[in-house]
Amino acid sequence: MNPSIPPEQIEQDVLAAMKKPGLLYWLALLFCGTVFIAGMVCWGYQLKTGLGVAGISHPVAWGIYITNFVFWVGIAHSGTLISAVLFLLRARFRTSFNRAAEAMTVFALMVAGLFPLIHLGRTWVFYYLIPYPNQRQIWVNFRSPLIWDVFAISTYLTVSLVFFYVGMIPDFAVVRRYAKGIRKKIYQVLSLGWEGRLGEWRNYNQLYLFLAAFATPLVASVHSIVSWDFAMSILPGWHTTIFAPYFVAGAILSGTAMVITLVVPLRKTLSLQRYITDDHFEAIAKILLFTSLIVSYAYIVEPALAAYGKNPFEIEEFRYRAFGDYGTLFWIMIFCNSILPLALFVKRLRRNIHFLFVLSLFVNIGMWLERFVIIVTSLARDYNPYAWGTYHPSIIEIGITLGGFGLFFSAYLVFLKTLPVLSITEIKERSDGTGNHS
Amino acid sequence: MTRTPSKIPLFYPMMLVTAGIIAFLETGPGHGGGSSLLMTLVFWITVVEGCIAVAAICDLVHAKWIVTLKEELLSPVPLLLFLTVLFLLLGFKIDLYPWMQDEGRWLNKPFFLIRNAVVLLVTYGAALRYAALSREEDDRKVSAAVLYLFAFVLSQSLVAFDWVMSLDYPWYSTLFGAYFFVEAIFSGLAVAGILFALRYRREVEKAGEKKEYLRDLATLLFGFSILWGGLFFTQYLVIWYGNLPEEVVYLVERITDSPWRELSFLVILCFFAAPFFLFLPRRTKTLPGMVTLVSLIILGGLFVERLLFLKPALPLPTMIFLLESLGFFLLFSLQVGRSRA
Repeated sequence: MNPSIPPEQIEQDVLAAMKKPGLLYWLALLFCGTVFIAGMVCWGYQLKTGLGVAGISHPVAWGIYITNFVFWVGIAHSGTLISAVLFLLRARFRTSFNRAAEAMTVFALMVAGLFPLIHLGRTWVFYYLIPYPNQRQIWVNFRSPLIWDVFAISTYLTVSLVFFYVGMIPDFAVVRRYAKGIRKKIYQVLSLGWEGRLGEWRNYNQLYLFLAAFATPLVASVHSIVSWDFAMSILPGWHTTIFAPYFVAGAILSGTAMVITLVVPLRKTLSLQRYITDDHFEAIAKILLFTSLIVSYAYIVEPALAAYGKNPFEIEEFRYRAFGDYGTLFWIMIFCNSILPLALFVKRLRRNIHFLFVLSLFVNIGMWLERFVIIVTSLARDYNPYAWGTYHPSIIEIGITLGGFGLFFSAYLVFLKTLPVLSITEIKERSDGTGNHS
Repeated sequence: MTRTPSKIPLFYPMMLVTAGIIAFLETGPGHGGGSSLLMTLVFWITVVEGCIAVAAICDLVHAKWIVTLKEELLSPVPLLLFLTVLFLLLGFKIDLYPWMQDEGRWLNKPFFLIRNAVVLLVTYGAALRYAALSREEDDRKVSAAVLYLFAFVLSQSLVAFDWVMSLDYPWYSTLFGAYFFVEAIFSGLAVAGILFALRYRREVEKAGEKKEYLRDLATLLFGFSILWGGLFFTQYLVIWYGNLPEEVVYLVERITDSPWRELSFLVILCFFAAPFFLFLPRRTKTLPGMVTLVSLIILGGLFVERLLFLKPALPLPTMIFLLESLGFFLLFSLQVGRSRA
């Protein structure tokens, strides 16, 4: 980025994204909205008819609803990673991605939170999950990882929202200056009367640092707890100690891929090349490569140690994963998550935006399949061969899954037009002085 | 840093002599079946490989605080060769592994010795290359650092799964390998902490920068204490909660009877509680004495934990073990000290 961009120019460039949308935008929003509504219709049908319309049954009682849940929680992860962890590590390239990633976190969590509710079947009694004194005299089972999930996800959503909002306060003040009419009023309220005084900035920076430090352990804890939904049970393939760090790395891998998927078109359509440079993409590609290597390590260690031990069910589980009914999906997953990202060892490919975009799509697919493979194959082959069985998602489940994607992308499109897509104040900080910006 | 350490050929003969003494001790009376040798190996390979890994990671991420310490952290490279020699000595003591009664396809004497020796040599080669390129500030040092880190992860995983975990065969935990290499990096940082604090007193120039670097180092130790705590907890919780008889026995043996119970708590204290609480205040992170203390506590924790892991191979012949540790410590200090001169 050229260090000599004047602050007004930065404001206008970034806020240009918030101008009146064109036809293409409306078409995209219409498409995503329709997919979302179609998904909701499927859910309505399931609510009315019963959970039997889904393909989940014995022995595979967790199907693609739970796959979607884990997938979207995973996507939500790199928002905090990029915002909080990279902030603490003083990696300055974060300013190019943090806003998009934080927004992605919030929307992905909203979608993720929906799937356990859909999976409940009788969604209207979801509040049974929340412990409070009640006339039914029932209490949640605190020993169940599923309840730990309720707390982990709601804490994470709260902290992510606060972090997202606090990061935007100075930017709201900038938008306030440019907006007119009712929009001006709204941004005025949102900016909490920010005036940019020295004292405000001092308090603000302190708060932001504390929030970042507070959010960082959450990156690890949330997905660890999600992994324990599986690892705490004693199913072969699920009950394994590496699960928590492996899931955390997988979450960051998928989240980073989704950030690339979202930011590449954003940069192109809004002409933000000056602010989101190839250097920044290279940096984020390195994170993707690093987490892919961790995930690959887990892919190797798990079956290797199953073979090392003496438990025939564990051995059978990993044989079944690779060569059983879902073998094809397993190998696609290995290709997408472990083999293809190795290309990022080549510097030229790390800086090739088209390649990164395609790669990120593959990783998204691979990570979704990973959750599917882990969840379904272990349930399909548990300790009791009499109860073995397979699972195929029904059309309703697929519809609701697509609806989740529709909701996510609709929310993201709305975000593009209502909030500043880059952190204006941080880019200003970065652009003055030495010009050593990345 | 372009300076290379003075080439005193003294080190290699000394190494051979020490190896000879250790071989003599291990075969002499009261040798205790190789537990002291294994303990020496698993402790020092963590520290030595960890130091080099810290240097490699810092080179990869362009960390600034490392610059003054790099030479010292790279200096133990030749010790990897020494560790390989010691490992081969373990071949004579291999009966200490329970699987020797019933050798399998993975765990059998020749394959065990060959694969571990090969990996150790590969790690040594990768470390040599990386250290040489890094000292010259060659552009290829980044790829050399990546290669070393691959070898490091492989080597530490084998230390975890082969050297240590197989003492309790067929018990296994998939996290063991990752747990070991994170601990290796942690202990490498602890060594860096001690070295930095020692250097801190000698040099007076650039006080402000030095203070910042010391704080960064202390913050890293603090961060790693949390990471360690997370890994420890996730491994513990899954096994404890699953409560499968063949799996939980590993924990039960170590948390029910004295002195193992107390030692287990001590490990948590040293690796997690001490660095976490002592480095929580902002001020303590810039006190060289405090950084030294915490680093020593962490290395002490590593020692106690290795002792816990090796429980099936114990008792340790104390005298022999102390002599071996002393020998290794002298070699290590000699190498590091020479690079500081």
